[in-house]
Amino acid sequence: MAAEVQVTIVTVRDIFQDEAGRKSRFSDEYKNLSALIILDKQDMIRLEAKDGQKLLVKNDVGSVIVAARTSEDDMHPGLAFMYNSPWSNQLVSDVVCEGSIPEFKNIKATLSTTEENMNITRISELQARMQS
Amino acid sequence: MAICTGCSLLCEDIVATYENGALTHVKNLCRKGHGHFQAAFTERTVPMIDGEQVTLDSAIAKAAEILKSAKSPLLYGWSNSTLEAQAAGIKLAEKLGATMDGTSSFCQGILMERILSGKIPSCTLDDVRNYADTSIFWGSDPSSSHPRHLSRFSYYPRGEKRQKSYEEERTCIVVDVRKSATARLCSNYYFRVAPGGDAEFMEAILAVLEGKIPKVGDKKKMIELGSRLKKTKWGAIFPGPGMIYSLQDKMELFERLVAKLNEITTFKVIPMVGHYNMRGFNELMLEKTGFINSVSFKGGAAVHGPEHSAMAAAKTSDAALVIGSDPLSALPFGTAHALARLPLIAIDPRRSLTTDAAKVVIPSAISGLETGGTAVRMDGVKIKFEPIIDTNLLSDEQILTRIMEAI
Repeated sequence: MAAEVQVTIVTVRDIFQDEAGRKSRFSDEYKNLSALIILDKQDMIRLEAKDGQKLLVKNDVGSVIVAARTSEDDMHPGLAFMYNSPWSNQLVSDVVCEGSIPEFKNIKATLSTTEENMNITRISELQARMQS
Repeated sequence: MAICTGCSLLCEDIVATYENGALTHVKNLCRKGHGHFQAAFTERTVPMIDGEQVTLDSAIAKAAEILKSAKSPLLYGWSNSTLEAQAAGIKLAEKLGATMDGTSSFCQGILMERILSGKIPSCTLDDVRNYADTSIFWGSDPSSSHPRHLSRFSYYPRGEKRQKSYEEERTCIVVDVRKSATARLCSNYYFRVAPGGDAEFMEAILAVLEGKIPKVGDKKKMIELGSRLKKTKWGAIFPGPGMIYSLQDKMELFERLVAKLNEITTFKVIPMVGHYNMRGFNELMLEKTGFINSVSFKGGAAVHGPEHSAMAAAKTSDAALVIGSDPLSALPFGTAHALARLPLIAIDPRRSLTTDAAKVVIPSAISGLETGGTAVRMDGVKIKFEPIIDTNLLSDEQILTRIMEAI
């Protein structure tokens, strides 16, 4: 059985992803820069994952399959980063205390590796979920 | 010279040449701005109803019909529209008795409210360039979000009282959950906080400023930070979403920290507003309604409250108009899902997840490139701009006026 790792995901910005999104939300470039999760080295080891490994990121709100990337930052096990995008927003709850802002930067989720033949969630799949 | 409407710095020194439908020469654009200027030629919208291309007149007529027949319409977006368009939007909301909200209710709104009411002291970015010897980026990463912030205002430039600039006279401090691109630049004064740990970190700074031992963080480093802050002659704090989301209802703690710093020296605050005219929308709404966002005009008078935020209204409204924004990309899944189920009107220059889900799409000219107007920079400075590309497309203001005329 594939290992599971619990993380807190913080969404952040990236200028390259931002630029790609301005040119097209539907391009491979935007997908490749958005559908990814940046993990601490220790969490990558616990998942037995390498850069580019497809991971299922799941919580009570939703799930997406994204690519893993090893963080270049100092040690931060249990803390993961995703660039703000329709992929990260699949995991953000809209149920908040009155007047509060959604937890874009405090998303609890479970990570696990996926089968080789699973694909990174496409933008068209996200659109279909929203419009269902 | 052109103005870049790619972010709320509204850089005024842009040289851009378009020839034969392509951007052939640019000067002074950052990567983000370059993407914004290039986007004039990719994935432009056309008038659509139910996914079929129609005439502009038909799309405007259909939008008017939807809004007129709605009992509780929501008008959302506004941060990428000019002040003139925002004013037209407020008139439309009044006429419809609609709920009106902007992107600030999901980010800088709770801080901006305190800035505009004078509870927290602010200044202009030109003041920062001329006087600041300490800049604190708290939960913000200008190297990604506002790439020319450091070079034009807060770190590198030589200002009136800061001729020796970053080499000798300016200190840059970063408080963040990650070692961002900006944090790498200011690594001597990078302070990592845990997610949600900003309030605790503020308490620790308050403690060292009062000569007490801080309860969190590396004590030696915290005392060094306290000393640096006390030695500051003129400081500026630039809070980003990282700080806002972490503090939420503890914003009074930030007020206390800023007040304490101002007992010792001078410290001003400029929120790191993302979209080019979010602050303009907040200022205009405050002037016209007494509130900066999340307002309902149902029943005539403007009423403010969290139940009138886009997140709540998406679930209670029976139609929505979204202008210059892509909430289906940017908001939580539940809100995106609720909006996508409504009869949705999208006014946007470019294709997005929101325009794809819209019943009616109305193409608009890009502000700053194809249409002129006025906007408010992140620090409250009003900036006028002229178009640099000829177009037959209508501006947001013209579209809203035509919708209103048709209702």
